[in-house]
Amino acid sequence: MDAFEKKTLKARFPSWLVTPESLLIGLSMAFWFIMGKLDHSFLQWEVQRELSTHIWETALMALPMTLIILTGGIDLSIGSIMSLSAVTAGLLHQAGWPMPMGCLAAMVVGMACGWFNGWFITRFKVHPLMITLASMAAFRGIAEGVSQARPLSGFPESFTRMGNDAWLGLPIAGWIFAGSLAMAAWIMHAHRLGRCIHAIGYNEQAARFSGLRVDRMLLGLYTLSGLSAAMAAIMFMARRNTAKADIGAGVELGVITAVVMGGVSIFGGRGTLAGVCLGLFLIHETREFVSWHWSRDELNLLALGVLLILSVVFQQLLGHKQAS
Amino acid sequence: MTMKHCFSLLSPRHLLRGFLITWILFLSACGPSAPSETTETVTDNQAAAAPKETITIALIPKKKGLPYFTSCASGAEAAAQELGNVTLIYDGPTDGSPEKQASMIEQYALKGVDVIAVSPNDPDVVAPAMRKAREKGIHVIAWDADAVTDARSYFVNQSTAQAIAYGMVDTMVQDLGGPEIRAQVAIVTAYLTAANQNIWIEHMKTRMADTYPNLELVAIKPSDEDQKMAFKVTQDLMKAYPDIKGFFGISSVSFPGAAEAIKQAGQSGKVMVTGLATPNSMKAYVKDGTVKSVVLWNTAELGYLTVQVGAALAQGTLKAGETTFEAGKLGTKKIEGDHVLLGDILVFTKDNIDQYDF
Repeated sequence: MDAFEKKTLKARFPSWLVTPESLLIGLSMAFWFIMGKLDHSFLQWEVQRELSTHIWETALMALPMTLIILTGGIDLSIGSIMSLSAVTAGLLHQAGWPMPMGCLAAMVVGMACGWFNGWFITRFKVHPLMITLASMAAFRGIAEGVSQARPLSGFPESFTRMGNDAWLGLPIAGWIFAGSLAMAAWIMHAHRLGRCIHAIGYNEQAARFSGLRVDRMLLGLYTLSGLSAAMAAIMFMARRNTAKADIGAGVELGVITAVVMGGVSIFGGRGTLAGVCLGLFLIHETREFVSWHWSRDELNLLALGVLLILSVVFQQLLGHKQAS
Repeated sequence: MTMKHCFSLLSPRHLLRGFLITWILFLSACGPSAPSETTETVTDNQAAAAPKETITIALIPKKKGLPYFTSCASGAEAAAQELGNVTLIYDGPTDGSPEKQASMIEQYALKGVDVIAVSPNDPDVVAPAMRKAREKGIHVIAWDADAVTDARSYFVNQSTAQAIAYGMVDTMVQDLGGPEIRAQVAIVTAYLTAANQNIWIEHMKTRMADTYPNLELVAIKPSDEDQKMAFKVTQDLMKAYPDIKGFFGISSVSFPGAAEAIKQAGQSGKVMVTGLATPNSMKAYVKDGTVKSVVLWNTAELGYLTVQVGAALAQGTLKAGETTFEAGKLGTKKIEGDHVLLGDILVFTKDNIDQYDF
């Protein structure tokens, strides 16, 4: 019965229609239709633009996370790297450094943290889950320690304006994401790195034997992930005018959820950036709409859970088809 | 599946097609809607679009689902019903996340509610969102816990530090049997650095020195917000000062810890203990006689007053510089600067504690 259904699915529709992406597009369309019917004010451009400020940080971190999960790895420490970078920039600002220097230092710290993850993973061949689980605790601990868990705020006006201004109708954070997305897409498509990333995800051993510099690439990816977390931290600080050791607590879950929702196989090798963007979009819109319309925070988790189960179940069906 | 196949999913043509479809749908959804659509849905936010005689108030607690805040919300709901023209939205982060609180403030500001009342989890994180809402012409007030002062117009303060501190000392004196009784007392606080507690301790010392010279404060010990540590500290103090007659547990954690130590030492009713805690957490000790009185404020009245202040601001009846506020059934309340004071503390004893459930 199962096999029969899959055959008909494949036979009846062109292959481009039966992908995780088209499924997500379908879901988005259905959602938008429902939202429009229930609450028209939600779909105003100004509302959408303002609410979009809640997702850019997650979105930015989802890009390297996608690449990492494509290689069959995972990075659980991004939330803690975000905290540590924010605390770095905040403390340096308090010490009298100019804000751009503080941000630069935060990025260096973020990259160092990511590099540290990558180095351990490639050097000792430990699964990234374990290394980043450990460093998640460690980085957070350092952040709490050096900041004494104090909130650091009072950043200059020119800096906080960056977090709240828009340029050509899109918040500045949105442009940063757009630029990073373009870069990630270039890596995936135009550059041979993209193929290597998929190759590692399919079979790391085979990739090694075929002469790919797997270790160097992984090191690069985790460093990139650290950098994205640092940039997310700066975006958060600009938006909320605060740096604190717990700002990144739990963000890794949101990021990984969006990536998985976007049809990226958690075992690596399969998935697309377009899918992840759609996953991000769907999660963001659902979350905002539920609290916009019903004003019940507890419904949010429920809605997110239902959405995730729906998309994962559908994708599982598709996945079998594609694998066969 | 081959790698080639995998890349075919990514082809620009498919992406383009997907985005085009989504975009068209977005535009069509954004387009002008038939008026009938909006009248079908009867929701909270409808009040925002309705004429000004209805006032929408968003009440945001630190954490949704805590009994303390649920009881505040019940009072707020009562005020909304009494006023008649107030639509109350009560929602807050279920996980107590300040970032989510800030997002909620932004959402309510976009929705165009009239009043946003926040009990900030982290004043600094929510301040930019509160300021943005104020720029949009929304009345933003703080309740239960204060916000950054320039991010809100008024703070609905449950009680002054002085009232809380004096209330605890007065209660202790009453429990001990009157001001003429000589007694050694000790304070079990949260952290030695805790700001709220330290202010209370100062006021408590003043009260004891000025009004009750028979009370002798022998020790102030931290419990580090750990009930077990409060338990141990109390035990040690009872050994060090065998004649000690009273303990103040001045945080919701140190109070039950101290009460448990006294109970286990078999001193229930002989050594008094009082302090700040929610009635539910102390009910068992009040029933078995270890604790005679629990000090707190009336949470339902706090919610009630917050909604009253919000509605008055929206209607323009509460103006800057006023020193009193007519708060419906609560009568006249004092305004000190930009603090609207709920005023009196509430003492729970075994006679009234069953009337409160939070």
